[in-house]
Amino acid sequence: MDWKQIANEPWIWIAGLYTCVVGFYMSFYFLRKARSFMHQQGWTPQQTAKMVRGAAITSIGPILANIFVMVALAIAISPGFAFQREGVGVGSVFTELAQVSNAAVAVGEKFGDPSFTLKGFVLAVLIVNIAGWGWNVEGIFTRYLGKFRQKVTGGDEKLLAVIAACGMIAVFSYYTVGNAIKGGGLLAATLASVVLSMFLFKLADWIKKPGLKEWALGISMFLGMFVGKIVGG
Amino acid sequence: MSVAEQHLKTGPAKADAVEYHVDAAAFEQDYLKPIHKVGTISSLLLTFGMFLPAILLYLIYGHSPAWSSIATGFALAMTYAFPFYISEPIAYYPIVGNAGWYICANVGNGSNLRVPCGLVAQQVAGVKEGTREGELVSAIGISTSALISIPAILIGALLINSIQQFFPEWLLSAFKTYLLPSVFGAVWGQFILRGWKYAPIAVALVYIPMVLKVPGAWNILIAVLGTMLVGWAMLKFFKIQA
Repeated sequence: MDWKQIANEPWIWIAGLYTCVVGFYMSFYFLRKARSFMHQQGWTPQQTAKMVRGAAITSIGPILANIFVMVALAIAISPGFAFQREGVGVGSVFTELAQVSNAAVAVGEKFGDPSFTLKGFVLAVLIVNIAGWGWNVEGIFTRYLGKFRQKVTGGDEKLLAVIAACGMIAVFSYYTVGNAIKGGGLLAATLASVVLSMFLFKLADWIKKPGLKEWALGISMFLGMFVGKIVGG
Repeated sequence: MSVAEQHLKTGPAKADAVEYHVDAAAFEQDYLKPIHKVGTISSLLLTFGMFLPAILLYLIYGHSPAWSSIATGFALAMTYAFPFYISEPIAYYPIVGNAGWYICANVGNGSNLRVPCGLVAQQVAGVKEGTREGELVSAIGISTSALISIPAILIGALLINSIQQFFPEWLLSAFKTYLLPSVFGAVWGQFILRGWKYAPIAVALVYIPMVLKVPGAWNILIAVLGTMLVGWAMLKFFKIQA
């Protein structure tokens, strides 16, 4: 049997739905719990609703990008497999395709040409999924991350804030500098989004319109994308 | 008027202008305890879920890979993934907190979707990352992003052919090539506003390994740990706070 025949059958959609239902319930529970606890602590429902709205607006661009990029994975493997990988436990499409290629190599085949057979596909289904296994296991031990952090910082609130700020600046410096040094449209997109995002957040403070902050990141990423496209073509 | 009511009325003039104080004991008992319970069970179920496609493939079609090829494929996969297993919790956990990390680890899309949504929620609320208040607000932002992305991806997968026809090619190409750099740039801009004093050292610690062609995940680890070390030294010796 050809691997493409079984790659989009109900079994893979069922596997995808299983992870999506668990991920969805967990997220729903966390949202409900965080909101109800915050309301007990003095926040108002209107305030938490603003946070939800800000996050929803910000999520539109990256989710659309994920869907568009998923097209590539769906064409390469199958819509069902793309959904199973992208719905929950997602890696980037590049990572997914690299892992499928790794599986093909392990059985002496090459992904993307006729030598890729059912044998390669069967291994790819396992390897692509268990490559993300480490994160799930880390999820199981999340409660110890807090204790570890507490031990390292001795519970010093100022040091905790420093560590959080430094970690994130470093991670996003990596991604931003990595794109900027490629020049052309990527540099333009990066510069435009950095400047716009800083400007819009400061503008919200200057004109005393905190609601603008809910939109600032979303606007910056879309305008940055269009600037990149105009410059880079 | 409570601090929260005052904040709602006027909005946070500056991101860190309003101080919230969450009761530590209540936070542990009423919030963290149930979060860990549901988070741990979900993580276990999702760990099983990673094996489900291979199990179904075997049960329905009778196909399973040879152990030798599993070992080779797994080793190849780990060369790429393993460094990220180390760098991501170190970098993300302090800002996204417990609920946020459960979602980042299990639902994915940490850097391009979860952290930006957590960050916006924190900015809207005017709370700092790394605090109990920041963790609660981040949980709201990150959970919201997951509740939108999971059904959206399902709909996207079901309508994949229509999507390609509905959107013009130039727009699809713009999204594929330039949206992610713009997301990273926009988020970076926010972090610079909040911790500009650490940005030069972070950029240096990113750029030098890049020039030396250090693999990406190790580069992140060097930059994260190095910047944290410098931040700690600035606080300890010069009393410079985040």
